[in-house]
Amino acid sequence: MSRFLSPRVDYTLREALSNLWRNRLMTIAAILTVAVSLSLVGSAMLVKQAVANATVQWDHGVNAIIWLDPSITPAVRESIHQQLLAMPEDIASCYYNGHKADYAEARIVLRSEPAAFQALTPATTPPSYRCRLRNAVDAYAVASHFAKQAGVKNVTYPGQAIKTMRRTTTVLQDVLLVVAIVLMLSAAVLILNTIRLAIFSRRHEVSVMKLVGATNWFIRIPFMLEGFLEGLAGAACAAGIVLWLQKVFDSVVAKPTASGQPSALWVSTGQLVTTEIVIVIVAVVLSSIGSGLAVRRFLST
Amino acid sequence: MIRFDRVTKIYNKGSSPALRDCSVEIDKGEFVFLVGPSGSGKTTFMRLLLREELPTSGRIWAAGRELGRLSNWRVPYLRRNLGCVFQDFRLLANKTAFENVAFVLEVIGRPRPVIESQVNQVLDLVGLGQKKHRFPSELSGGEQQRVAIARAFVNRPLVLLADEPTGNLDPETSIGIMKLLEKINKTGTTIVMATHDAGLVDMMRRRVVELDQGSIVRDQHRGVYG
Ligand SMILES: Nc1ncnc2c1ncn2[C@@H]1O[C@H](COP(=O)(O)OP(=O)(O)OP(=O)(O)O)[C@@H](O)[C@H]1O
Ligand SMILES: [Mg+2]
Repeated sequence: MSRFLSPRVDYTLREALSNLWRNRLMTIAAILTVAVSLSLVGSAMLVKQAVANATVQWDHGVNAIIWLDPSITPAVRESIHQQLLAMPEDIASCYYNGHKADYAEARIVLRSEPAAFQALTPATTPPSYRCRLRNAVDAYAVASHFAKQAGVKNVTYPGQAIKTMRRTTTVLQDVLLVVAIVLMLSAAVLILNTIRLAIFSRRHEVSVMKLVGATNWFIRIPFMLEGFLEGLAGAACAAGIVLWLQKVFDSVVAKPTASGQPSALWVSTGQLVTTEIVIVIVAVVLSSIGSGLAVRRFLST
Repeated sequence: MIRFDRVTKIYNKGSSPALRDCSVEIDKGEFVFLVGPSGSGKTTFMRLLLREELPTSGRIWAAGRELGRLSNWRVPYLRRNLGCVFQDFRLLANKTAFENVAFVLEVIGRPRPVIESQVNQVLDLVGLGQKKHRFPSELSGGEQQRVAIARAFVNRPLVLLADEPTGNLDPETSIGIMKLLEKINKTGTTIVMATHDAGLVDMMRRRVVELDQGSIVRDQHRGVYG
């Protein structure tokens, strides 16, 4: 190694790695805590994303969807719109989702039914009115009022399953996040402590370094690198766990369901990548806090 | 090279000063003994020069800089111009003589080939060329102090500060160390040496600055201990 790296880089790496090895029990504890806390953060994000995907139709408090005929004429659509506007005591608000928007949404909702999605084109995808009712129990009445009208294909409203799912995941997420935050704090403290131990076991070296004119950063960087390596190792474990969780979602939970039911839990590649990136960023932040505090506190002047 | 201008150092408010209104000037290439009873402020003098401490009042110049105006990030660069040696050697036990000396150059980012040749050269200068791969525990006290001097000198500092370098050594070994410091002084390096060893001071007949309770009570060229 020393042959290829500049003495400074070589020195920094060598110091950091040997410090990690010297306090390996503490190192492992720190890495595991980072891994567990970040896995929790990652899982919370995955569940949130999966549920959001599965129930995307019901975003923004929508609790009734009036699906229109794909071939509806503008005149008929306008008359339905007027009727919606004429029911302000039942319907709080409504917005129109065109062919293209609904087609894009179908791509997400029908993810576990690729055949059903393939049968659709933007032109054959029904557009819809998304409504927020003043009172969710009116959904049935609204549905029966519109269902038989010309130009209306059918009316759907979220079943109990979806409502429960949304509520449970919100609670689950909050719990996971609280636990994760506590664990993340412990992780930062553990990282801080491994660095403190490393500084302590090298205090003679550090005092000699100061005496012979090593810059503060030269002294600090190997210790900080140690913290970063712990954080990154933890993040790598967490990233692996999240990847595995996503596979579980795909293979176990993601069974095809009949239309109208909450669709299977899944997350897109983009969402998975985002989750992994968040994990790495949080690890970097955690270990910066831990190592920054440690060198500031234990290596001052 | 080194200048103290009415320097007073009080460590803790209310306690009596460790240095009191000291003014002294040391030129390039001088060899100065700092003598005085225990607690008279010799180590404090050194610590102020290394900017481990700031004076309570007064101003200090070293290596062309006023230390009170030196920003913190420049302190390491100041210290590269000031070598220092202590009574207790302060070698790293897990490094060989060679590695102890090389460490200094490594720490200030010198390239490896330069380190190699400079360290060998300075170890030859202190007479330890043959024992460079020994650990401090495998060296006598005098040899350990030679390694420490090599470490202080390897970067060719302008000034070498030695705080009782012979304090732990027998008289004969002390003379050897003295001769080595003299040799280093001949290369143009300024040497400031705090000592209790009257015999060495009388033998060398160099400039003597005497401290007593923090005050300079004597500054004598070609002086003696007491
Ligand atoms: N870090 C410190 N905090 C408080 N007081 C200190 C500190 N260092 C030294 N002193 C006090 O300052 C005075 C001078 O101490 P100094 O170490 O400079 O003496 P010295 O001449 O080196 O003594 P010796 O010959 O015993 O080494 C002493 O009274 C000492 O108690
Ligand atoms: Mg002293």
